[in-house]
Amino acid sequence: MKNVLECSHLVRRFGERTAVDDVSLSIAPGETYGLLGPNGAGKTTTIRMVCGLLRPDAGTVHVAGLPVNTAAGPAKQLIGFVPQDVALYPDLSVRENLRFFGRLYRLPRRRLERRVDEVLHLIDLGGRARDRVDSLSGGMRRRLNIGAGLVHSPTLLVLDEPTVGVDPQSRHAILESVTRFGEEGMAVLYTTHYMEEAERLCDRVGIIDRGGLVAEGTPRELVALVAERDRVRLTAVGGLTAYADACRRLARVEGAARSGDKGDVVELVVKDARSLLPDLLDLAHALDVGIRSVEIDEPDLEAVFLHLTGTALRE
Amino acid sequence: MTALAVTGATLARVLRDRTALFFMVLLPVAIIVVIGVTVSGFDQFRIGLVPAAQAGPVARELTSDLQEAPGLRTRTYDTPDDARTALRRAELDAVVMVPNGLDADVRAGRSVSVPVLVEPSGSAGHGAVSSVSAVVAEHAARLQAARFASDETGGPFDDTLALARTAERTASPIVVRSETVNGQSDFLPLGYSYSTPTMLVLFVFINALAGGAAIVQTRRTGVYARALAAPVAARTLVFGETIAYLLLAVLQSLLIVGIGALAFDVAWGDPLAAGALVTVWALVGTGAGVLAGALFRTPEQVHAIGPALGIGLGMLGGCMWPLALVPDWLRSAGHAVPHAWAVDAWTTLLSRDGDLAAILRDLGVLAAFATALLTLASLSLRHRLTTSAGA
Repeated sequence: MKNVLECSHLVRRFGERTAVDDVSLSIAPGETYGLLGPNGAGKTTTIRMVCGLLRPDAGTVHVAGLPVNTAAGPAKQLIGFVPQDVALYPDLSVRENLRFFGRLYRLPRRRLERRVDEVLHLIDLGGRARDRVDSLSGGMRRRLNIGAGLVHSPTLLVLDEPTVGVDPQSRHAILESVTRFGEEGMAVLYTTHYMEEAERLCDRVGIIDRGGLVAEGTPRELVALVAERDRVRLTAVGGLTAYADACRRLARVEGAARSGDKGDVVELVVKDARSLLPDLLDLAHALDVGIRSVEIDEPDLEAVFLHLTGTALRE
Repeated sequence: MTALAVTGATLARVLRDRTALFFMVLLPVAIIVVIGVTVSGFDQFRIGLVPAAQAGPVARELTSDLQEAPGLRTRTYDTPDDARTALRRAELDAVVMVPNGLDADVRAGRSVSVPVLVEPSGSAGHGAVSSVSAVVAEHAARLQAARFASDETGGPFDDTLALARTAERTASPIVVRSETVNGQSDFLPLGYSYSTPTMLVLFVFINALAGGAAIVQTRRTGVYARALAAPVAARTLVFGETIAYLLLAVLQSLLIVGIGALAFDVAWGDPLAAGALVTVWALVGTGAGVLAGALFRTPEQVHAIGPALGIGLGMLGGCMWPLALVPDWLRSAGHAVPHAWAVDAWTTLLSRDGDLAAILRDLGVLAAFATALLTLASLSLRHRLTTSAGA
């Protein structure tokens, strides 16, 4: 299937600094692609080039086969851009803002009104359609910010960190919406520095650091790159030395040791901690060890990022 | 079509903003009223009237004639001392004391003097005496005619006075017609005809300049950047904003013109010429407003600097006082700003009964200002939008 977005060897420099260095990526229809990286990694510069807001020093961007550049070309008709900061008229109503952005994409009047109603329903702001934007809560504005990028039914939706500074409830609503966009066949480019968002939403993730794409793949493929094992930390009372020895004899347990200031912790390195956990609890019961708490550290994109870049993701 | 979306959004925002409407409509009208009232008495003398203590019909008629004289603005005082005090305080240009025995002296055929008091230092005193003398002379002519008729016919004086009044009303009056040489006047007519056109020039410019804050605000909200991600060229956004500000400037001008004509009886002169002047001046204001929107960084900067700049240019350009009153060098300096040319054009239309041809030179200069400002504004805003992605 033909890709919706094709970025090829994108380079952008600001003076001496190379903000984006030879980034190539593609997104298929219905695919949600997460561009994951810390602040200043080059995510926003990349999507500004994708949206035709910034001219690349080298490389090309195509959307549905059409070249994207800073001129008002036809490719832009296919892109829905949701900037990181809420970019709306605060003194116009919710409906007027949606109508305004729809008119920028030259939607015919009847279709525009229909799409505005659909988007209002989609972002759950139908009851606030006549209210001014500056009277909405922060979460509602974020939802409207996304809605304004959807009025013209884009083929590619580009969201630049849409959940920054959003309360948990609104974040959940936004993530639900993005999941639905992908399911409905829209290609989504989603930048974030939240690991859990990338893992939850994205079919594929590109890890970007210092302007370069350092790894790309499904979350599972990326986790496999680091080949880490799960760490299990059991806080318990009873004969913990015997318990650690017994654990060590279990299949898939690669290491076990007592630790903790009071010696009340058994740490294990295992493969697939979740499936092994019932065996560990049965063994504790058999040895009359009382388990107080269990912590499992599974390898995740955070670990992948740490592994690939040597630095932790940060807010 | 797309530009009109920008135009519509800007118009909706501004026309719903009560503060903007206050500055657009209420404040200009309030200032027009204040200045109009302040300068409306400059062509009248302030006269204190002390009526006769026991006034007969002749004395009452003289008092009434003085009160109704178009060149006099009278105020009645109970005692001569009160009137003298007001004269010393420069509240009056002259005091007229209607003689107590006026009726008796007239009927007896005796000569009568009407005392008029002026301050020696009062610059308007002599003019006031002349105007009062004209009214008294007209009144005296009526009395003399009645006296003559009474003497000739032997009829009662009151009857012949009534006949004299009737004859005066039916006879064709002899009037003095004044005409300015070459039809030239460097001043707008006084009163509202002075304040309304000058405030139109001042406020349309200030309002447009202050309106640049909305462009700055839109830049800062990121709406332009977002719009540029749509299939919209930067020039389309600039064009849309320019049309919005032009329409607002024209709307404000039409409001002031309408209010001036309907409420203040301002005669705006040749409609075609006035329309052209309003349009060109709106273009000047639009250019200034969009330029402010492109150059300033924050709306607060626009609000702080814009009106101050507008008032300064208005003062220099003759919106606060006629440039004919200032030294030559200041008058020349004033014509470095467009306001002076606009006020000149209004002066031609209102004071010299000028037409479109008479203000063509002023319109040409204003059109040059408008072209320069609009070009600079468009280039600046477009540069701002494209180099910093709409911010």
